[in-house]
Amino acid sequence: MTTTHAPTPSGTRSARTRVAATRPPRPSPRGLPAAVGSQAFLLLLALAFLAPVAWALVSAFKPATQIISDPLGLDLTALTLENYRRMFADVPIGQGFLNTAVVLVTKGTITLFCAPLAAYAFAKYRFPGRDLLFGTVLITLMLPTIVLIIPLLLEMKALGWVNTYQALVLPGAVDAFAIFWMRQVIADVPDELLDAARVDGCGEFGIFTRIVLPVIRPALAGLAVLTVMNIYNDFVWPVVAASSERMATLQVVLSTLAQNITGNRVGADYATVTGELLAAASIALVPLLVVFIALQRHFINGILAGSVKG
Amino acid sequence: MSTLVSPERVRGGQGRPLLRPWLPRKVAPYVFVLPFVAIFVAFSVYPMLFTLRLSFTDWRGSGAATWVGWDNYAYLLGNDMFWGSLANSAVLWLMIVPVQVVLGLLVAVLLNNAKIRMRSFYRIAFLVPFVTPLVAVAQIWVVVFDQEFGAVNGLLDLVGLPDVGWLTTSAWAKPTLALLFLWKTTGFIVIILLSGLQSIDASVYEAASIDGASRTRQLWSITVPLVRRTLMFSVVLQTLAVFQMFAEPFVVTDGGPYNSTTTAGLHLYEHITRGDLGTGAANSFLLVVVVMGLSLLFVRFLRTED
Repeated sequence: MTTTHAPTPSGTRSARTRVAATRPPRPSPRGLPAAVGSQAFLLLLALAFLAPVAWALVSAFKPATQIISDPLGLDLTALTLENYRRMFADVPIGQGFLNTAVVLVTKGTITLFCAPLAAYAFAKYRFPGRDLLFGTVLITLMLPTIVLIIPLLLEMKALGWVNTYQALVLPGAVDAFAIFWMRQVIADVPDELLDAARVDGCGEFGIFTRIVLPVIRPALAGLAVLTVMNIYNDFVWPVVAASSERMATLQVVLSTLAQNITGNRVGADYATVTGELLAAASIALVPLLVVFIALQRHFINGILAGSVKG
Repeated sequence: MSTLVSPERVRGGQGRPLLRPWLPRKVAPYVFVLPFVAIFVAFSVYPMLFTLRLSFTDWRGSGAATWVGWDNYAYLLGNDMFWGSLANSAVLWLMIVPVQVVLGLLVAVLLNNAKIRMRSFYRIAFLVPFVTPLVAVAQIWVVVFDQEFGAVNGLLDLVGLPDVGWLTTSAWAKPTLALLFLWKTTGFIVIILLSGLQSIDASVYEAASIDGASRTRQLWSITVPLVRRTLMFSVVLQTLAVFQMFAEPFVVTDGGPYNSTTTAGLHLYEHITRGDLGTGAANSFLLVVVVMGLSLLFVRFLRTED
């Protein structure tokens, strides 16, 4: 779908040149060292990208005092679950997971249904008010979300929604970027396909569910992963709107714990809090990491299929 | 833009379709945008208009609001802290975006090369920071870059270099924050750029190498011009993100030391925590003007040869 209008110089493409597709031929004499250099560069960079996360995952199993005194060392005989045990005792992380799961399912469903549906209307219909509405979407994309927090909070208070699931789910349920991205993707679906379905007697909504959705499935998968990630990682709005212990999402639990690291918690020293924090951080990032690695093909292909044209 | 063919023309001479659509074509788009519009108006447009009105008042969160006209905007435009926060964001932009574009393009070009091994491993590795929760990442950063106990200074000790106050000196706090942002988001930019690269027809490179163009030459004369729109998209996306950056400095440095990491996004939050809601609102709209101006500038700059 991401066809470019690259100037095709001469001749036709044979099957053989298609194989060479992704690799521009290189001059042979310098070929070998260059390949080794590229490989080494990528490997070092990848390790640098993985190192902080790996360090946190491993350090969470070290005794708290050792994390501080010897951040780089690893004494295999001293590994312990103490940080985890203390963290589970001190913070409501189970409740946090539960709340995050509820928000994830409801908010995610709303986003993944409403955003493509609205984007379909923006991309494939002409109707009065369309450009104004889409222009407004683009403006909200540029407005720092922080600034909406005060009016939103007042709105939640007026509705009596502070510390409720509604407050966590509805604001931002269909975000501007999702609309923007999906409109781009659906605009690439050929009109002939939709008209053919129409001729066959397919209704307007049927065209969306039976033609548009299946065609944009790769991009939709990309949107799904991105949406799950954004909801799972969101913390500024949840901290403001639903910070009670009963409603705290995983990220709220984590950021509350993080505030203790400044040392204002009675009876807790820096090392203990650091240990608990690394345990909590590990346990928070592992589910998302697993989901991401399991679905990364869909996510990456989704972006590759649905991004801007070169 | 897709022009829709009128239903009569589509049906042609075949008469009415088999099933009578329950949703007339003229009404359908309104029904489709309705769920989105309901949420959007209630929780985005309404607060946005509220904020716009707020920016012309001196409201402090309770009591009556007095209309002050453009006073809040005038105050900000003459305020050193406001300009300082914009300058901080501009410096962070300089530390982040050019590095990210060059590094992102380099990695994307390498990953687009079929000869490179373990390509899917690299794609995952570069995206791991992107999917990791920011709160967790920020805490890892705080611990790893701690002046006394951190792993980074531990590494410096090993090679005999003196400790650096990564997050505690105003000289190093900005680069450390920039590094966090680069580490967190570069993987996403790589994937976006990769999507641009994959749409380039291989025969273009083939023709170029037959003509004897070196790889560097090919990168400059073929790759860069052809992914210009993707590059533009990335730059605009990251400009928005850098100037709105809030959560990273909020969690890692809280704007310090000596306001060296008070970004534009964090500065407007400071008005809010002080209860100065009118000024905060005005600040955010000034920020929108800045970001919009920069975006248009980049779009123009990168579109020149279209």
